[in-house]
Amino acid sequence: MGRHVGIVGVGQTNHSRRRTDVSQAGLVREAVDRALADAKLTIEDIDSVVVATGPVLFAAVNQPEKWVVDAIGASLKPVVRITSGGGTGLAGALAGYYQVSSGFADRVLVVAYDKLSEGALQYSISTLYDPFWGREFAVGIMGFSAAYWRARMDVLGHTEEAAAMVAVKNRKNSMNNPYAHVKKEVTVEDVMNSKPLAWPIKTLDVPPISDGAAAIVLSTEKLAAKSTDRPAWIHGMGYFCEADNAPERSLLVSEPLAIAARRVYRAAGITNPRRQFDVVEVQEPYTCFELSYYESLGLCAPGEAAELIESGATQMTGDIPVNPSGGCAGANPIGAAALIRLIEAASQVMGKAGDMQVPGAKLALAQAGGGWANLRGVAVVGA
Amino acid sequence: MLSIPDTYPIDLKPFPSDLSMPYTLTPGRAAGIFLAEIGNKRIVGSRFRDGGTVAVPAQDFCPKTGDSEFDLVEAPSTGTLNAFTETEAGIIGLIRIDGSDFDFPHQIVDAGYDDLTVGDRVEAVWGEGAGESILGIKGFKPSPKAPVGSIKPLENPAKQVEVVPYRMDLHYEHAFGPYYGRLFDEIKTNRRIMGVRTSNGEGALLPPRELDDITHKKTGTWVEVKQTGTVRACSVIHLQFIGQKQPPPYIYAEIILDGALTRLIHNISGIDMSRAKELVKPGTRVRAVWRDGEPTGSLADISHFEVIGGEDERS
Repeated sequence: MGRHVGIVGVGQTNHSRRRTDVSQAGLVREAVDRALADAKLTIEDIDSVVVATGPVLFAAVNQPEKWVVDAIGASLKPVVRITSGGGTGLAGALAGYYQVSSGFADRVLVVAYDKLSEGALQYSISTLYDPFWGREFAVGIMGFSAAYWRARMDVLGHTEEAAAMVAVKNRKNSMNNPYAHVKKEVTVEDVMNSKPLAWPIKTLDVPPISDGAAAIVLSTEKLAAKSTDRPAWIHGMGYFCEADNAPERSLLVSEPLAIAARRVYRAAGITNPRRQFDVVEVQEPYTCFELSYYESLGLCAPGEAAELIESGATQMTGDIPVNPSGGCAGANPIGAAALIRLIEAASQVMGKAGDMQVPGAKLALAQAGGGWANLRGVAVVGA
Repeated sequence: MLSIPDTYPIDLKPFPSDLSMPYTLTPGRAAGIFLAEIGNKRIVGSRFRDGGTVAVPAQDFCPKTGDSEFDLVEAPSTGTLNAFTETEAGIIGLIRIDGSDFDFPHQIVDAGYDDLTVGDRVEAVWGEGAGESILGIKGFKPSPKAPVGSIKPLENPAKQVEVVPYRMDLHYEHAFGPYYGRLFDEIKTNRRIMGVRTSNGEGALLPPRELDDITHKKTGTWVEVKQTGTVRACSVIHLQFIGQKQPPPYIYAEIILDGALTRLIHNISGIDMSRAKELVKPGTRVRAVWRDGEPTGSLADISHFEVIGGEDERS
């Protein structure tokens, strides 16, 4: 059993479609300055740094961690870079968690970012396909994601209308998020009538492309008090994979997410996620994924996701609010997105989520995903 | 045509894969002004307020301490050669501009390798029509008598360059290995699609592979799968993007060929695209249509899949 680990400081940039005033390193610096200030620390207090980013092809900089540590004044400290597609922010947090939990470090700074305005996004993402087997047909992961949403429609009833309700909810919630850059409420009709990109995925099912960075400070129990009297304690965290093209892989329910959730829930003592969690943050690259995650996370049974969103239970006013921050619909700097979900979940249990606060939130769930829907992570944080 | 049950090495040339990725990089404030001032034949550095460290070229953050508070300064065009090496592209040196605390790499011009010594005095040679790029400085040449210059405040700095266009052209050669080798050799030579049986012998894994993903046991013998199959998942692509191989609209499909347990990704064509949503669904039956002409030994030898009647054989 390792040491207890708490999130004692969080920071993120005000995300935007394109930041031409700062470099990639400058973007990271903004988030790091905010996280350190939030934790009442300086870079001197940090034992080790984890840098998490999306694929190198997003931004044409190989070994960006070297650039980053210099820009945040962390040269000569231990550093590792984690890259794991869209879920990389949570994978980075997990690496930091292991360092503190194991006793390797007392305080770890985890920074995650992507500056997506700099590269050709769908082209870059398409390279995660096997060059022999399917890459020439890849449409980022959008073609693939839309294809399996189409399959889930028939089997699990994840209708276009249900996904449109996810868009309506998340875009409404983004209005309260000071860091989001897409702030426009939409209706179910707006989503249904928006231009198809990879039908059934339509323009308003898709998050923006963003420049953004996020950072957290992880601390031991002993040192946490210097930063805050209310850390977000990590009750469990995991990141799981499944085989890419295995015979039993239906992709209807996310198997790695279900496995990750089961494992982390056991560690965190969660037996009834819908009742026990006060708030949930999911990383939904497209609206259809949020429906799928409801099921894999056990917020409802497979086949009941449409009913769950229709019931209003996942709205801010519902019994299990999902994405009070607006999720990826408000901003989606991919490499940072999963860490942002963790930050939003942590902020809820730290009681500092501002206009996004779910009153009295004590226990929060954060979900992350990357790769070809084959990497999925979960974290449980509590007051 | 004999069915050959074994896996064996096939001498195939590697599979070429070319990526040509465009970028619009953002240098940030200090480097952006450095680049802008190259056009004015001025070399800009940053002097950090906490300790007075000077970095040339200018940077937003002190490489030593991470300090982010700085004043831009005009640096001299003279300095010292601190290291050098000869490459096919010429001599590359690490130059420390007078007054700077850091070296930076650039070309050494107007000198041979044997003429150079660490510690030599050098000065910048400006290129013709110097643009907003570090290559606006053509290089540094030996200048034994160059006086030691000094750092001055930067007067009237130019507006920063915000975006630098860039491109990465990447050429890969992927080895086939015995499994992909046989698969694509059969596609090229015999227009057969071959999988390998799972460890328990029920159905074929496609593409063929050495280990079963679920049992982690060694897979079995080779088997031909049919060229008909069932759509497992599909979407109608309207999106246009850089690097796209064909103009939309088209159908992205994941297809389980009859006899296979895993998916093959391809396109479905030959239908009225305005009715794509109703004509192609999970469960739709399809058949491979081979491309005419010289085979390439890749999935591109299948032109597309066409919709056929009938029911899913497995359901």
